[in-house]
Amino acid sequence: MMIRIEGLRFHYGEGDFQLRIPELEVENGTTTAFIGPSGSGKTTLLNLIAGIIRPETGRVQTRGEVVSAMTDEQRRRFRVTTVGLVFQEFELLEYLTVLDNILLPYRIHAALDLDASVRERAAGLAERVGISDKLGRYPRRLSQGERQRVAVCRAVLTDPPLLLTDEPTGNLDPLNRERVLDILFDYVKESGTTLVSVTHDHEILPRFGRVVDFRDFHVYEGGAS
Amino acid sequence: MITRSKFTGIALACAFTACGGEAPAPDRSAADETPIESAKSQDEEILVVYTTNYPLAYFAERIGGDRVRVEFPVPAGIDPAFWSPSPEEVAAYQGADVVLLNGAGYEGWVAKTSLAESKLVDTSAGFEDLYVVADDQVVHTHGPEGEHEHENVAFTTWLDPVLAIEQARAIRDALVGRLPGSEADLQAGFAALETDLVELDARLEAWAASVMDEPLLASHPVYQYLARRYDLNLRSVHFEPDEVPATGGWRDLAALMPGHAAAWMLWEAAPLDEVSARLASDFAVGSVVFAPCGNRPDSGDYLDAMRSNVEALEALPPAG
Amino acid sequence: MKDTLYLAWRYLAFHRVKTGILVGAITLIVFLPVGLRVIVNQSSRQLTARAEATPLAIGAKGSPTELTLNTLYFSSDVPARTTYAAATEVSATELAAAIPMYVRFRVRGQPIVGTSLEYFGFRSLEIAEGRQLAVLGEAVLGSRAAEQLGVSIGDHVISSPESVFDIAGVYPLRMPVVGVLRFSDSADDDAVFVDVKTAWVIEGLGHGHQDLSRPEAASGVLSREGNVVVGNASVMQYNEITPDNIDSFHFHGDLSDFPLTAVIAVPPDQRSSALLQGRYQSDELKQIVSPSEVMDELLDTILTVEKFVIAGAVTVGLATLATAFLVFALSLRLRRRERETLFKIGGSRAAVATVMTSEIVAVLAVGVLLALVLTFLTQRYGDVLIRALIR
Repeated sequence: MMIRIEGLRFHYGEGDFQLRIPELEVENGTTTAFIGPSGSGKTTLLNLIAGIIRPETGRVQTRGEVVSAMTDEQRRRFRVTTVGLVFQEFELLEYLTVLDNILLPYRIHAALDLDASVRERAAGLAERVGISDKLGRYPRRLSQGERQRVAVCRAVLTDPPLLLTDEPTGNLDPLNRERVLDILFDYVKESGTTLVSVTHDHEILPRFGRVVDFRDFHVYEGGAS
Repeated sequence: MITRSKFTGIALACAFTACGGEAPAPDRSAADETPIESAKSQDEEILVVYTTNYPLAYFAERIGGDRVRVEFPVPAGIDPAFWSPSPEEVAAYQGADVVLLNGAGYEGWVAKTSLAESKLVDTSAGFEDLYVVADDQVVHTHGPEGEHEHENVAFTTWLDPVLAIEQARAIRDALVGRLPGSEADLQAGFAALETDLVELDARLEAWAASVMDEPLLASHPVYQYLARRYDLNLRSVHFEPDEVPATGGWRDLAALMPGHAAAWMLWEAAPLDEVSARLASDFAVGSVVFAPCGNRPDSGDYLDAMRSNVEALEALPPAG
Repeated sequence: MKDTLYLAWRYLAFHRVKTGILVGAITLIVFLPVGLRVIVNQSSRQLTARAEATPLAIGAKGSPTELTLNTLYFSSDVPARTTYAAATEVSATELAAAIPMYVRFRVRGQPIVGTSLEYFGFRSLEIAEGRQLAVLGEAVLGSRAAEQLGVSIGDHVISSPESVFDIAGVYPLRMPVVGVLRFSDSADDDAVFVDVKTAWVIEGLGHGHQDLSRPEAASGVLSREGNVVVGNASVMQYNEITPDNIDSFHFHGDLSDFPLTAVIAVPPDQRSSALLQGRYQSDELKQIVSPSEVMDELLDTILTVEKFVIAGAVTVGLATLATAFLVFALSLRLRRRERETLFKIGGSRAAVATVMTSEIVAVLAVGVLLALVLTFLTQRYGDVLIRALIR
């Protein structure tokens, strides 16, 4: 079981909103979409799963580790090796080249060693997503779609078992949206990575094996698996 | 006079010529050779003295003895009053410890060269008020020195032995100022020279008394100081010993003669035979040489030359 | 650590302009008071040294500072003139050696110093090339003057006209360079030395044949000289003393009346110095100054001004520093999202902090380093600057 959540409660936003999830499980190797209107706590849940924040009560277990019980430092280390993150706003560092952005996780962790094999992998990923000719450019010179592809490369560079994406196609036009989704799903299929995506775009739901609706916390089965 | 030996130290070190030359040996007793003073380093040094004419060089040698090395670089045969040094010769003067000037406008070149003021000694400055003002303003070209004008002031001051003694005295004072430890020696040298000059003066005075107001001619206006000292009735033309005077020159003489019936003309050097012949035949004027001795004589020293001059005058037959 | 520094470096490199401005500001904040102190120290020492080496200066009554600066540093502010008689007077007292100075004219930017041979011994100046002055009209150059004017032995320098409209018709004098002095690390290096009599010729007090002016055929230097166009439009006329005409050169009038800007008096001891100074107490036309006293006063003034300037600089510096820190703070604020991203993808607090604060540390470090480099350079070349300022 990749993710298991029990009895979760978390206040977020300015006071009134409380995320309550009595129980939620995500299986290894699946693709799950968290759908719901903005403000329904989807991003918060991703952060909880990744160990970025801790719940007030309840238990979050990711890949067998009780993340909610770890210290900040433990969660960070856990995150480094276990989770890949793709953000809606891409969150690239504008002062780094595309290549340096992709390599960023290896630079920000003392535990990870940036060597030739990592560079090769990065180059390979870039090629796969079609941006290998832009490795020396700065993000401001890339299109939205290209930027998101860079973010995806960065997220998967460490080969994490769990890939969390927050509105991965939220800022993209339809063409790029399909492209990025293709990349994500191809990768996930090939590597057996568990994919959890937060989205409010209903049109992409059919791609996912499972959909979790935050409105009334319904869980849908169906669609492509 | 307050003398300050430290002025020597203030003077230029730039081109200080080291001591090492030997001074010419005048007639001095053996006693003068032994150092009388204590061995202060200044007293052991030999002063390098440059002069602008020969009489001053002679005086300096007589007075300074072996405490000085006297240099007089003007080539023989050139009148030092109209000589200009080359830059190398100027450098030699710059290297001197003392440069003795005649003054009275004698060495025109000094005003156009760079010499350290502190080394210059104007030997006639002490009797400035006694300079003779010359009234000839004739300009003419000839000779190796080129064009020259006769300045307002006559400058052959040493031809008056009394003034020569003053110049020698100025030299003595300048040397004593720079070699205070040798004052006695320097004074002795001066005294001996003074004696000789006084003797010259006496002989000339005697001769002048014998000619009284007799008119005399000078080939060239260089005897003003001599004339004044002995009250000579001397008029000048502008002849040169090595040249035949131009027609104008003879005319000037002809114009002069009626009012000034001289029997003798004083020459700076022996005139050309044809000139003295013509003087004798056309004007009944004999030639006698009285060399001013501005430069070295062909033989002998200054005193020898002056004595010869006096003898030549004394040998003149009395007028009549 | 290496990687976080790499990230910090990329940030600074990307924001070149901002980084540059901040570094520049820090550099200035540190360097201005420090550099000023260094310059003032150096200039005091230099000015004092040269002033102390010059015992006494006599000139016409007027500003002692002007007299001192013109005599020691050949400044272009020319004091009221005294006469050559002042020099002979000093010699006559036998209390001091007298060195005449006439510093009035220039060859382009370099001062012409009319003086006597004693000056060279007094300042321990040695000939490096060529020879010493010998004959009227010659020039001996300081090493820097020769460089600046691009001349050496055998070339000529021409005195610059004092004003565009030279009504008196005094032509510039063309002088052969006969010697170049060894470098002495003083104002003497910039000077064109001539005999004081040559300076009088430049003034027009001495002259030779009438038609000395002849157009100079191919000299480019002349056309660059040309503020002055005398006579026909493009022909430059000047005087020159040559072996051919020197015999006819003469001065009109009594040399004692000829002008000097100063007489340097070198007494052999304190007593003579005091006696000499006493003689000028009641002189109505002349003043005697002790350059070291004048310099001390000048330096006191400079030091007082310096204190104010430093106070001002420090105040401005503090304000600038505060502004710089404001910039840093704002920068940190702006990079909040970046911080969050780095944290989210697993950067440790330490690593993130390093990336963020490296900007500040690097700017401060480089700024201070540059300030130190500038201070070192100031120490090394300060005296050149000072001399340039005085001229």
